[in-house]
Amino acid sequence: MSLRRRLIQIVTFLGGIYFFLEWLLPEDLNGFKFGAYHEQITNGFVAVGAMAIGLGLFNLLSVHGSVLIFKRRGWINSAALLVSLLLMTLVTALDWRATAGNSERSGKLFELRDFATKIEADFKAQRSGVPQWTQRNLALKNALQAELERLDEELRTLDFSAIGTASAAYGLILSDQTELQKKLPEARALMRELPLEETATPDFGVNARVAGITGELAVLYGDLLNRAYEFSAIKLVYRLLYDGLFVALGSAMFSLLGFYIASAAYRAFRLKSFESGLMLGAALLVMLGQIPFGLWIWSGLPDVRLWILEVPNSGAFRAIKFGAALAGLVLAFRMWLSIESESFSSQEQP
Amino acid sequence: MGFEHATPGVLLLALILVLPVLYYIGVARRTKNLYVRRIPGVDAVDEAVGRSAELGKPICFSTGLSQIGPVLYASLGVLFHIARKAARYKNRLLVPQVAPDVMAIVEDTISEAYRREGRISQLDPNAVMYLSDEQFAFAAGYAGLVQREKIASAFLFGSFAAESLILAEAGQQVGAMQVAASVSPEQVAFFICTCDYTLIGEELFAASSYLTKEPVQLGTLYAQDRAKLLFFTMILIGVGIATLSSVCGRELANFDWVFSLGWDVLGGWIK
Repeated sequence: MSLRRRLIQIVTFLGGIYFFLEWLLPEDLNGFKFGAYHEQITNGFVAVGAMAIGLGLFNLLSVHGSVLIFKRRGWINSAALLVSLLLMTLVTALDWRATAGNSERSGKLFELRDFATKIEADFKAQRSGVPQWTQRNLALKNALQAELERLDEELRTLDFSAIGTASAAYGLILSDQTELQKKLPEARALMRELPLEETATPDFGVNARVAGITGELAVLYGDLLNRAYEFSAIKLVYRLLYDGLFVALGSAMFSLLGFYIASAAYRAFRLKSFESGLMLGAALLVMLGQIPFGLWIWSGLPDVRLWILEVPNSGAFRAIKFGAALAGLVLAFRMWLSIESESFSSQEQP
Repeated sequence: MGFEHATPGVLLLALILVLPVLYYIGVARRTKNLYVRRIPGVDAVDEAVGRSAELGKPICFSTGLSQIGPVLYASLGVLFHIARKAARYKNRLLVPQVAPDVMAIVEDTISEAYRREGRISQLDPNAVMYLSDEQFAFAAGYAGLVQREKIASAFLFGSFAAESLILAEAGQQVGAMQVAASVSPEQVAFFICTCDYTLIGEELFAASSYLTKEPVQLGTLYAQDRAKLLFFTMILIGVGIATLSSVCGRELANFDWVFSLGWDVLGGWIK
């Protein structure tokens, strides 16, 4: 047996025995917690699975790239697919970059909010290895001043006129902007009150208020940026491609089922044999029992329909599911123990 | 104890399943001639491959939305058989895929089948193609492929959901001979309406054994049949006891303890 196969068998067995024991053993067996790292292990499997996406991408590029390069039959379809793939990847990357940029812009204010409360918490905990609280408050004041100036400048230069003044979103954006402009002087005033003189019992009330108003500014600023971003060119193109095309095309495929069910039912309900007769009879009773017209023919039809669905139909469903589950379980054991059939085991090289 | 973890009672039932598998694999290896009843749908596999060879049109095999697991493993057994035949008769084989990790395994299976036939050089590197992991995008891609290539036969083996009818109808529209197998009873109904042959539930697992007649697969099939017989007997006994209890107006026997048997109780017994 080759080393490669032996290695696969060992890894399969170890993986199998871990999940089997994790399923079998109780959460706490006399203090021993077998599944303590279960989340990390399953995350590892998810990460390995995610890496496989690269395989799919490589296959798409290889299959359709060769069709396109050699202009084989259907090359136009391959070209459409590759263009769509590249376009969607580009737009999604730009969307991701813009969203991350917005979070980063409002995130600075959140950081300052956390810093304001941390100064107090560190002082009370008498944490060593950090600068004095007065120095930290000074650093907070300087950073906040710079951030508020940047925000003020940005609010004056932002232009939302492209959104359309009649839309509700425009109203919400203006409301955020006004609220922000109202809170800016308040934040500046509080910032100036930050204690910078050394005392034995400092009052951190101002720090708490600074943290509060900085947090409010961060939330408002984040909302404003996100609302404005919804009307940006990148977002509009992304929505056009994803919601407008991809989702709509998926729905169109799904709606085909309505027509296909009719044509499949026509073929299935032709009376060809005793079995097809049974199926036709059962389907007729179920359909008549479902509609008001059936009730008009005979009031007992809904009960007949219910009996067919709950007794013979449920019984057959259970039998199929039971048999399949049992066969699946046995095959799973075989996979775990690497009892491979000749079909899957590569022939050993001489 | 909650039911998120099994109990020793469940372990006992699992062992009842595993031990016969090992035993019957041994029996199959010794006797080499275990009988398996005829399954028309499986017989049709070779017929569909032959039809494709006669018409000179491609074969399409789909594992649907199957992820790595027993259903895929069972489907791969059939794919291996079909790929060998395709290699032998120089048929073109198309295997559209949903999951990239499954695609890698499928590629390996087909390569091995062609290698066994000594025709690895004839394997089309684009035979296994990734379409999309999105259900209906995959269905659209599959339908387009079937229409463009005018396939002669289609095999739908694996896990399928709402897209099953779209896939099967695409094959029906080009007049392909279709064999389907699914463990989902909801989709089986659609396949029965649209395909020429349908393998229901566990027949999907039996197909590979029937086609290859390999001792390991035959032994597994025999063992699961015996286990099923055992469970069927248990169900009959349970129904009998429940009926008698109902008639007598008191509980005659209760077997709940088997399933609720916990590690603490087992530990007490061992002590």
